[in-house]
Amino acid sequence: MTTREFKTVGTAVRRVDADDKLSGRAQFTGDLQVPGMAFCKLVTSPLPHARITRVDASRARALSGVYAVLTSAELVNMETHYGSDKKDRPVIAIDKVRFQGEPVAAVAAIDLATAEAAVELVDVEYEELPTVTGIDEALDPSGEPVHESNVCHEYGYEWGDVDAAFRECDRVFEDTFEFPMVYHYAMEPHTCIVSYEPDRIRLWTSAQHPFLVQAEIARLFGRQLDQVQVVVPFVGGGYGSKSYTKIEPLVTALSREAGRPVRLALSVDEAMRTVRRHAARGTIRTGVMNDGTIVARECTGYVDTGGYTDNGVRVTERFGDRMPGPYSMANVRVKTRGLFTNSTPAGSYRSIGGPQAIWACESQIDVIAHALGMDPFEFRVKNLVREGEEVRRGRRPIEGDLEYALRRVADEFGWNSWRPGPTPPGVKRGIGFACGVTNSGASPTSTSLVRFHADGSATVYIGSAEMGQGSRSVMAQIAAEELRIPYGKVRVVASDTTAVPWDRSTGSSRSTTLMGLAVHDAAIDIRQQLLDLAAEHFEAFPEEIEAEDGRASFKGESVAFAALVRNMFGGSGGELMGRGYVTPKHASGKLRQDTVFWEVSIGAAEGEVDTATGEVRLLRYYSISDPGKAINPKQVEGQDEGAAMQAIGHTFFEEMLYEDGQLLNPNLVDYRVPVFTDLPHEFETVLIESGNGPGPYGAKGVGEGGIVCVAPSVANAIFNATGVRISTLPLTPERVWRALHEAGQEAG
Amino acid sequence: MKPFRLHEPTDVHEAASALADAGGGAALYAGGTELLLAMKSGLLAYDTLINVKSIPGLDAVSADGDTVVIGASATHSAVECDPLVRKRMPLLAEVEHGVANLRVRNVGTLAGNLCFAEPHSDPATLLLVYEAGLDIAGPSGTRRITVGDLQTGSYETSLEPDELLIAVRVPALPAGMCAAYSKFGYHHRPTLGIAAALGVKDGVVTEARLALGCVSPVAQRLSRAEDVLRGERVDTLTEGASALREASRLASEDADAVEDMHGGVDYKEHLVRVFMERTLLRALARNGGGDG
Ligand SMILES: Cc1cc2nc3c(=O)[nH]c(=O)nc-3n(C[C@H](O)[C@H](O)[C@H](O)COP(=O)(O)OP(=O)(O)OC[C@H]3O[C@@H](n4cnc5c(N)ncnc54)[C@H](O)[C@@H]3O)c2cc1C
Repeated sequence: MTTREFKTVGTAVRRVDADDKLSGRAQFTGDLQVPGMAFCKLVTSPLPHARITRVDASRARALSGVYAVLTSAELVNMETHYGSDKKDRPVIAIDKVRFQGEPVAAVAAIDLATAEAAVELVDVEYEELPTVTGIDEALDPSGEPVHESNVCHEYGYEWGDVDAAFRECDRVFEDTFEFPMVYHYAMEPHTCIVSYEPDRIRLWTSAQHPFLVQAEIARLFGRQLDQVQVVVPFVGGGYGSKSYTKIEPLVTALSREAGRPVRLALSVDEAMRTVRRHAARGTIRTGVMNDGTIVARECTGYVDTGGYTDNGVRVTERFGDRMPGPYSMANVRVKTRGLFTNSTPAGSYRSIGGPQAIWACESQIDVIAHALGMDPFEFRVKNLVREGEEVRRGRRPIEGDLEYALRRVADEFGWNSWRPGPTPPGVKRGIGFACGVTNSGASPTSTSLVRFHADGSATVYIGSAEMGQGSRSVMAQIAAEELRIPYGKVRVVASDTTAVPWDRSTGSSRSTTLMGLAVHDAAIDIRQQLLDLAAEHFEAFPEEIEAEDGRASFKGESVAFAALVRNMFGGSGGELMGRGYVTPKHASGKLRQDTVFWEVSIGAAEGEVDTATGEVRLLRYYSISDPGKAINPKQVEGQDEGAAMQAIGHTFFEEMLYEDGQLLNPNLVDYRVPVFTDLPHEFETVLIESGNGPGPYGAKGVGEGGIVCVAPSVANAIFNATGVRISTLPLTPERVWRALHEAGQEAG
Repeated sequence: MKPFRLHEPTDVHEAASALADAGGGAALYAGGTELLLAMKSGLLAYDTLINVKSIPGLDAVSADGDTVVIGASATHSAVECDPLVRKRMPLLAEVEHGVANLRVRNVGTLAGNLCFAEPHSDPATLLLVYEAGLDIAGPSGTRRITVGDLQTGSYETSLEPDELLIAVRVPALPAGMCAAYSKFGYHHRPTLGIAAALGVKDGVVTEARLALGCVSPVAQRLSRAEDVLRGERVDTLTEGASALREASRLASEDADAVEDMHGGVDYKEHLVRVFMERTLLRALARNGGGDG
């Protein structure tokens, strides 16, 4: 049999949501009007760490137009705490507040103005506690801990004989790198509407993982899963900030109090006090031989998870998983700890723990290469893990040829032929490289349902949330391809737990790989049914039937799929249903091994440093993306470039600044996110399709890889230009200038 | 945000009376790009906002001899694109183009920028070298002050509670002056702003106007640095020239820099030195070409 050519897979088809989004018709949670809906405003703690000695909402409750005020006293006949790994987050603060901005009470009122007025009438008294700010204070046992202790989670693994390797190697390097607290800035801050009703709870929410929210709400309020409906309209950007459960429990409890639907839409300020990325400190000891062979790496580090665990457990682990880098090493020891501090809880953020880990890993690789007098690129290639090798012992072997990928980027970037060229006085240019592998995919569990209608069109049901990444378009492409019908004949219904079957989550770069597989299988399930019907029709064997373009054919005769369906039901209607189950057992256990896939990231940067001011300009940036198979190449590029652009933020200017537990820059004027003028003139994605991912057509995820290599490649470029190593992000002009100044490398 | 009343006066006098009547409970509202953000975040609260934009004619940009008169409700974009401004004071147009982003420039006003007295303002610095004047109206009439008299501190002005700024009067730089403005920083607002205007006659600097802003609460003229430049031959004022170095050093010494999110004192003082020299060189490079 000849291989069939793809019809829509591999094509940059027009996004299914393009028209809705461009015309403004697309509905986000904040656009919805639920009849009788009340408006919520939060009373939040002005103090970062305090015991709550009194909450008196009576004056607020007495205000005309106020339906209800939720305080911890109302958390009765329900579970009071939630969280993905540790259920340490109260629905609303109980007895103690652990970060500035933590909700202490919530008002539901007839309109926002009334709710705001009522907020002023809630009297709260606190007994202030000493504040735990940052990793060092969290490690200091003398203060009052944030929880029972300041340790949220500990993680580690080891192979080989690390101590012996350090004793026997030629040189040992030890360096520490710091990564700041940063905020996702999804353009749509968290928004949620809940209608708590006697026989069911309905939620419309900007959530990435609708089914995890459903399960959490069902558990908290003692309901069955079928009694909790979670609808996720279009999401205005997630990046992990809407992973797991955020404001939904609070709004549900308030709706229960108010006896009517309640809507809460956070501001940017409030969203910055809802979730952020973990600040981190990574210390790496590396033992090398004089010929440049890495023999041992010991990585220790801390992540600052803020006031509650949120996703701190997993981030502590991924930070540790990702720190040693994509190198072949006989001896590795990793120990990471997640710590509580009095700051916004830290959760998932695009490549959890990844940018922090690879910042440390790849900065140090250049430190070592320089000390050994080796080209940093060649030093990497020499130590790179080979295809099929276990980059982390006991885990899935690496799927791609990393050396090939590295060389491709170096070639396209022009690494070997690069020269700084003439620059104005005081301005220095340099180039830098970085690479990393990140374990992605979360859990290999997704399901999908496809309905094939009597006119030859189809509807695909998926749990994935559409947050800009284009999942609906990719799923439509996969379904159209496997159903052998045009892309335009497929509609995707997504993320409504009463309509679509279960999915674990939309995160960890997993949807195209895992939900894609479920859709692929569901579509094939239908195609098989169509072939069976056609076989009956032609009185032939199913294997003898050709299916293409909405028709089944046999020996020069053909019949429309639509006719086959209608004939089956003996009339004008009817439809077929196909299902796809993705579980660890899928394809003979192919997905069972830990990590679903390795996401590869490589970055090459050219930068220019004004040594008089410390200003760094990113002139060129090349990033690689290996989606296995690019089902939609434009969207792959979009993911890679979007991730790299987001990284420009933490590389150059983003940092949540805390002083005595108070967030100093909770707005987008003082907290600077990247804009288009920050992009380098040459900003390229090098696309490699190595075809060996676990997803459909060999695809694998690419949503996060682009974010991890920008910072280290830029810092390496600064080093290359000036000889000065900066180990703390962001690389603000002042920080760069101070480093140059100390090293005597500044101009002017 | 707390609910407020919107008062829409039809003339300046009505606006001033409304301010007086409110006794501190009211604020003038132009583009709202500062005011509404501060009110939304709860930093400011007013019962009444008095809309400057409802006063007819206040958005005009007009000529009074060599002076361009910019009405209080003229937006940054209106100033930037005004043909008169572009022709007579291209540097003002250039600096206005560099303020904030298009959305802010399209609604935010020059007057609002000055009256908010946020320390990191481009025009507050630039207008010092233009020696601009301000027309201030109160219940009892109008007075004129210099732009340097307006700001008294961080978010503080010399306006009485019942006064409003009605026009910014910008005299064109005298013929033969060359000028440049530098801003630096990665935040939305500038970390540093330096304006330099030099009058040159027969190859000698006859007049020097230097202004520095953003590094301290109030933008200021730098008279000691100005003195150094006066009398210098322009052909000696090349990169690294001792007079430039000296002017830059004095500018840095007089900077009154304070530490804030934009940086530490020593860094800011260093930046002043670097950018004073760069700005002077850019101004001199424009010598003979007018203020742009
Ligand atoms: C994102 C962002 C970036 C910015 N970047 C820059 C920048 O790069 N450089 C820069 O210089 N500025 C910058 N700004 C400031 C910007 O220029 C000001 O926000 C704008 O000019 C204020 O004008 P407005 O009309 O919106 O003032 P409003 O917000 O309406 O008013 C501001 C203040 O002035 C008072 N006021 C208004 N009109 C009068 C009047 N006629 N008389 C007396 N008082 C009055 C108000 O009561 C209020 O206190 C930035 C602002 C933002 C939001």
